[in-house]
Parts: sequence; structure tokens; C-alpha cells
Amino acid sequence: MTNPKVEQLKERLAETQDLTKAATLLFWDQRVMMPPGGAAARAEATATVSRLAQERFVTDEIGRLLEDLRELEESSDYDSFEASLIRVTRRDYEKATRVPPELVGEMSRTSTLALAAWGPAREESNFEALRPHIEKNLELRHRYVECFDPPDETYDVLLDNFEPNMKTAEVREIFDELKEELVPLIQEIGDAGEIDDSFLHGEFDQDAQRVFSFDVLRRFGYTDDEWRLDKTLHPFMTTPGHRDIRLTTNFRADDLSSLFATMHEFGHGVYELGVDESLARTPLHSGVSLGLHESQSRTWENLVGRSRSFWRYFYPRLQETFQSQLGSVDEEAFYRAVNRVQPSLIRIDADEVTYNLHIILRFELEQDLIEGRVAVADLPAAWNAKMHEYLGVEVPDDARGVLQDMHWAAGGFGYFPTYALGNVISVQIWERAKEDLGELDERFEQGEFGELREWLREHLYRLGRKFTPQETIQRVTGGPIDAKPYVRYLREKLAPQAV
Amino acid sequence: MTVGTESPQLERLKAVLAEVADLSHAQQILEWDARVSMPRAGAAARADVASTVTQLAHGRFVSDDVGKLLADLDADGHDPDSVEGALIRITRREWERASRIPSELVGEMVQASGLGVAAWDDAKGASDFESFRPHLERQLELKRRYIACFPKTDDPYDVLLDEYEEGLTTAQVEEIFGRLKGELAQLVDRHRGDSVEDVPGPFPVERQHEAGQLVLAAFGYDSESWRLDETPHPFAAKPGAGDIRLTTHTDERDLTSLFSTMHEFGHGVYEFDIDSSFARTPLGRGTSSAIHESQSRTWENLVGRSPGFWQWFYPQLRALFPDALGGVDEVSFVRSVSAVRPGLSRGDADEVTYGLHIIMRFELERELLAGTVAAGDLPEVWNARMKESLGVDVPDDAHGVLQDMHWSTGLFGYFPTYQLGNVISVQIWEVARAALGELEEQFSRGEFGPLREWLSEEIYRHGSRYPPPDLLRRVTGSGIDPEPYLKYLHAKFA
Repeated sequence: MTNPKVEQLKERLAETQDLTKAATLLFWDQRVMMPPGGAAARAEATATVSRLAQERFVTDEIGRLLEDLRELEESSDYDSFEASLIRVTRRDYEKATRVPPELVGEMSRTSTLALAAWGPAREESNFEALRPHIEKNLELRHRYVECFDPPDETYDVLLDNFEPNMKTAEVREIFDELKEELVPLIQEIGDAGEIDDSFLHGEFDQDAQRVFSFDVLRRFGYTDDEWRLDKTLHPFMTTPGHRDIRLTTNFRADDLSSLFATMHEFGHGVYELGVDESLARTPLHSGVSLGLHESQSRTWENLVGRSRSFWRYFYPRLQETFQSQLGSVDEEAFYRAVNRVQPSLIRIDADEVTYNLHIILRFELEQDLIEGRVAVADLPAAWNAKMHEYLGVEVPDDARGVLQDMHWAAGGFGYFPTYALGNVISVQIWERAKEDLGELDERFEQGEFGELREWLREHLYRLGRKFTPQETIQRVTGGPIDAKPYVRYLREKLAPQAV
Repeated sequence: MTVGTESPQLERLKAVLAEVADLSHAQQILEWDARVSMPRAGAAARADVASTVTQLAHGRFVSDDVGKLLADLDADGHDPDSVEGALIRITRREWERASRIPSELVGEMVQASGLGVAAWDDAKGASDFESFRPHLERQLELKRRYIACFPKTDDPYDVLLDEYEEGLTTAQVEEIFGRLKGELAQLVDRHRGDSVEDVPGPFPVERQHEAGQLVLAAFGYDSESWRLDETPHPFAAKPGAGDIRLTTHTDERDLTSLFSTMHEFGHGVYEFDIDSSFARTPLGRGTSSAIHESQSRTWENLVGRSPGFWQWFYPQLRALFPDALGGVDEVSFVRSVSAVRPGLSRGDADEVTYGLHIIMRFELERELLAGTVAAGDLPEVWNARMKESLGVDVPDDAHGVLQDMHWSTGLFGYFPTYQLGNVISVQIWEVARAALGELEEQFSRGEFGPLREWLSEEIYRHGSRYPPPDLLRRVTGSGIDPEPYLKYLHAKFA
């Protein structure tokens, strides 16, 4: 017997979800398809659809329904669809109704302007041009934080937007452990001498890269019926509807990095596709947090895509595709090159180990900014000092330093830590998968990835947002978030004696 | 007393209309994407999203505050010739139509359309009418419910026609089509024995794209605001000011894609040249389907099949396809692309037989709606009529009743506007020639700017400011008149 109030709630939520999907498509189209002349009209359309999605969600009707359904929630099994729907919607609703629409509007306008300023500022390596925008963004974040009950730390409120229920202190603890383990590991690897990866740089025909990427994606589970892959400047994944998964990648002409970007985006896509169909058109129908999402993109990019067994299957094919560049490079040399650990300036090009330090640096700096311990004007100097301290590299200019990422211009304070949390979680889940499935390597060597994908769907993807990220990790791995498996994995794979 | 732009009611009305226009912009992207880029499995979710957005736009538009604002503005009085007057007039017309339709029916129609198109696509691929029949029946049922929302008219079909072509009645269409039918049949008969040879391909797809880009560039397309994509069934869309999307379908066996590209350019340029101050209001789009089609036909046929155009373009085309066209001279080529050849497909039909394809659909859809032809009998009736009017035998439903997507998406009452567009195109063309002198000479030099500017000035920039009969009268001094079109056909196909 379905409860009529649950049906009513589902109907209201289906409407807001549909509007959100429409906005998602407008965004995808703008990045992939739209002629530049359409930008002004598109800004209006996107703003209207997003605003309506928000307005139709924070209605008194939904508030009343959630109140009326409290009893049903409490009397229903915690795992049931109804209890989860009411619980998660209430949390979203309470957060959304706390923030006045004017502030939401101002935050969105300010970050649009800041993003527009970020491009040229990075181009000219001119931090001063971006400074006032960051200051304004920070001021608005403070006003945002004030909308909520006083937290233990200001940063908690911002983090909650990307990693719900997680506290800054918990992240700090995990990151301190990572720092303590990884700084010496990087040192050891550096001392062991250089690994040659010169053959990864050169000319790689973009059409050939595309063909090879599709080969990989299809082995992973990509089908033309449910997926597409397009070229954009900055790779991303988005899903404008159930069973409609869109990846983008950049196909750089001078290296093979886009292949890894493509596998990364596949991980995001396969998570979304795997969410249980019965959750469609509800707020439960998506990945549960950015950290969990990133754990899956990292799984497919690194745990699968940088493994020996993956390349055992694919390297002969790659070699055939790029005869002149790779003809004389053997599989082992190639494997070492794509896993080369080398401190560098740019986060998105960083290897599996140093990547985390790029994130920790940002996590620490954004707390300093929020707490006022570092003034925005002093940010470049603080950035450069930490780069030296953690990675031993000297930053030549702000373009390759503090201006490299768009996140702070976009107002995304609290976003960065989820990248490294994803790395940590990815290995926790990976270990559980291997316990259940046995040696995955043998399957990968045959080009078979279906068992892994199905296991992940069964244990993680299908849950969607029914449970909190913490509950989800607990259900999948049997324990809380824990950095040890990840550190162990990195050591085993990349410490000099291991390679 | 006239309403100035500072009238607070008008400002409020414009704010609602802008929101509705934004939702329609989103709706157009949802639809364009479904036809150009969406993975197939996304169709079901897309039908939901499109239905929600349309319902919301509808709900927003038919709200009481719009009714109240319109009443206040009417009470103030306004100059019907002013832009504000036109905005209020068209908003009232649309509001009165939209208010009659319950929001649920709007949602059902959009959803049935999304699912209908997907089912039609599969059915056409498999030439399996039976799998499509329930969707057609559903569309007919929805159309009958839709018609029932309106006051009784002389003919129920009037309600549908009026949506695409304000003020047009079934009786008028019958009269115009009655005049055309006999004349077209005679022309077809006269050419039945013609032995104009097809120019055989192949015409590599990449080269065809180059040819299309050359023509579009000369017509006035630029990549800042336009794009051109491949899709099985070509169409044009304007999801927002400054964003014009044409589609085409390229087959290496022939050059039809070039003509469909010019056709869609005609739709695109009409929308692109609308006065930019009309953006985000109901004035910011072409005034009717037939006037729109008159412009696509102008660029496809009156320009794109003219001797002057080919004098300019044929050498370039021949250079792109030296293998296929090396031994074909310009005169034979032009004769081949204009030849009268009764065939199965409306989309590929020549200028003469095209009208007969339309008249047949006009008759059939009225019979379907009236119930005198059952959906289940449609393929049989279709094939019999094809034999009767064009003398061709339909081999299967994919090439027969399933060839067009219109009925699957609920477009009943739309087909006649295609043929009226042909009729109107020549009426306008005659005035343009009188104003601009020797167009053929300009075309032969690759000059299309003067024509575009004239059309822009007389028609495009006005958007929906004038109802279609008024616009036609302003430009040509008369109502819809088939005589210039017949004269044109007789002269060209003598």
C-alpha cells in the first residue's frame, strides 16, 4: 500500500529533479555544443531554470509533507526507500531553506564574474586581478556560514556541501597521516633515481587516441545506447537524465594524459549509471558525495588504468596504434613511465603520490583564508612556501601556482579535500572487492572488467544517496574511512624496492 | 492613451514572458539534444524532463496574474500598431489559447510526443507499422481531447490549423489545395515520360560538408552564432538569441543534403534576423509556420535551384566532386536537380510532386481525426492514395506511411503549412524581384546579401509583430494566392 503523502512528495521531487536535469543539459550543451553567440541568452535560461528548481523545492508544501511523514519515517525500516527518501529530503530541505534566495543569487552572480576574471588573470599570471573577487567570495562564504547553527569550525559548514556530515577535524586527521607517510615516500622515490618517461611526450594523433580510448571504454562497459564522449577543454562527466551518461575529454595532441582523464570520467559515469533505477527522479538518484564519486573515478583511472594487468592487455594495442613513438618501448618501461612519481607544479598532471600533497596544501590554505589567518593578498606567498615545503618545488609564477585551479574563483571552498578523500576511499573499497572476487589481475589481463564493475554496482553504485557517505563507506567496506590501506597500496606499488 | 514602455504592468508582463521564454529555450535544447546528441536509452527520462519543463512554462503563462495584467493593459488601451500593442495582442491570443488547455493535458502531450518519436524511429527502422500504431492512436486521442478544449468551429481541424497559422481555416486550405491539385496532377502527367538522368555519385560525405559550408558562408552563416549537425531528419532550431542550429542528413549516394541545408538556412536566417529587442518575448520568433516555410523554400528552391545560383556554384561543386561531375555540364546538372520525378518520399520530392504529397497528408489526417479512416487501416489507405495521386507503388511502410515523424510527435494540422509556404514564397519573391532587379545576375556572382537584407527588412526583423495575413498583405498587397506559384511552376516546368 503506497502512502498518498509519499506519492505527493515524490511527485513534487520529480518536478525539481527534472528541472535540475534540464539545467544540467543546458550546462553540458554550453560547454560542448553551443555557438559562442548564444552565451547571453543561455545565461538567462540557465539562471531561470536553476532558480525555478530551487523555488519549487523550498515550498511550504514540501515542508508540510516532510512534517506529516515524520511518523512514517520513524516507523519504517531505516533501509527502506520511504525512510531514506524522507530522511535525505529533509536534510536537503533544511539546508536549502536556511539560505535566503538573495544570498544564493549573489553567490552565484559573484562566482560567475570571478570565473570570468580568473581566465585572463591566469593567462597573464596576474593575481591582483583576481584578488578582489576571491575576497568577495570569502565574504559571501562567511555570510553563508552564518545561516547555520554555530559549527565546531567555520570550515565544517563549507565542507558539508561537498562531503555531507564530515567534519574538518576528521579530514585533518586523515591528511596529517597522509602527509606524514607520503613526504618521506616521495623522498625515497626521488633518491632512487630518475625513471624515463620521455616517450610519453611527443606527437600523438588525436583521432588515433580517440579510437584507442573507445576501445578501452567499451571493454569497461561503455555502450552507444547509454553513453557519449565528446571533446572539451576541461574534461567532465554529467548526466542529464537516467541512462544518459556524458563524458568529455580533451585529447591533448602532445601526450597521452587524456586517456587517463577519459578513464577517470568513466568512473564518475559508471557510478551514476549504476544507481538503482527505482530511485530515478528522486534526490536519492545520484552518487552520495564528491569523495565517494572521486573514489570511483580514481578506481578506474588509477587502480585499474595504471595497473600492470590492465596494460598487459592493452599495451600491445597501444603500441600498435603508436608504432613510431612506442615501438621500441617495452611494457615494463611503459608501466613505470605512466606511474612515475615526480614532484611538480600542476595538480591535475600530478602522479598518484604527490597529488595528495597538492590537495593537502589547498585544504590548509583555504582554512587559513576562511579563518583569516592568511590575508588574500598574502596567498601567493603562502602558496609558494608550502609548495617548497611539501614538494620541494619552486613556483616560477602565479599562473603555475595559486592561479592554476578555478575552484576558489568559483567559490568552491571545501571542495578540494574530496579529491584526496576519494583516493583514500578508493583503496578501501578496492580491497573489499578483491576479497570477494579474488585476483582481479587475471581478468584484467584478458581485458575483462565486467566482474569488477558489477561488484561495484551491487555494493556501492546502486545505493545512490540512500545513506550518508559515512554509512555508505561502512556498508561497503565494513569500517570507517581509513588512510592505512591507501598508504599501504602506494608503498607496495611505488616505493623503490617495489618497482 | 498609449502604453509606454515604462508602464509597470507591461514591465511585469515582460518579466513573466521572459521566464516563459527561458523555459522554452530549455525545452528547445532538450528537443534538439534528443534528436542530435542524446544516447538512445535517455529517451524515457528525457520525456519526463521535457514534460515537466513544458508544464511549468504552461502553468506560469496561464497564471491568473498574466490574465490580470492583460486585463489592466487592455483597460489602459494601447496603440495596436505599436510594438507594445503587438506584444499585448499576441500574448492575449496565446494566453487565451493556452488557458483552455489543462496543465495535465499539456504534460501528457509532451510525454506522448517524446515516446511517440522514439517508437516511430524504431518502427521506421524495422518498417513495422503495428508497433507504432498504439502511439498514433494515443496521439489522435490526445488531439481530440485538445480540440474539445476549444469552442466549436466549422471544422474541428480549424483549431489545429489556427495554432500554426493564425486565422487560417480548413475551408480556405481546401479551396487553395483544390485549385492546386488538378494543376499539379496535369504537370506531373506532362512530365511522366521525361527521361532526365540522375547524376550518379558517389559524393563523399566530407566533401558534401565542404560544399554546404561554402554555400552557407555565401548566404551569411557564421560559426559565431550558427552550427550545423547531422541528424536523420533535418530541422532548424533557435534555442536562444544568437544560437541558430541547422541540421542535415548527408548520404553519399546523392546531393539532397545540400538542398536540405539551404532549406534549413531559410528557417535559421528568419529567426536570426529578428529584431534583437524582441528577445525573450513572444514577438521574438517567426510569425507562422507557412511564412517560415516560405523562407526555407525561398532559399532551397527559388535561390538554390535557380540558374543564376548554379552559374556561380556549379564550378565549385564540380571541383569538389571531379569523379562524379567531371563529365556533367551545368545545364544537365541543373536539369537533373529540378526534374519532375514522381517518387515515394516527400522530403526528396521535386517542386511539382511535393504539393501532391502534402495534399494527400492533409486529406488523410482529417480523416484520421474524424475517425473515417482507422489508424490500423492507414498503411493500406496510404498506399492506395500514393498509387492514385502519384502513380507509385509503395514497397513497405518505412518508405510509405512511416516516412514522416510529424504524427508521432502530435503534429496534426502542420503539413498544409508546407505547401502554403511554397505558395507564399513565390508571392514574396515577385515583390523582391520588382524591388531588387535582376536577382539571377547577383546570384551568378555569388551575391546573396541584397536579397537577404531585403527579406530581413520586409519580413524577418518583424518577428511575430504582425499576424501572418497582415504581414503578407504588407509585403505583397494580397492574401494567400496560388496564382503566382502556379505561374512560376508552369514557366519553369513548361
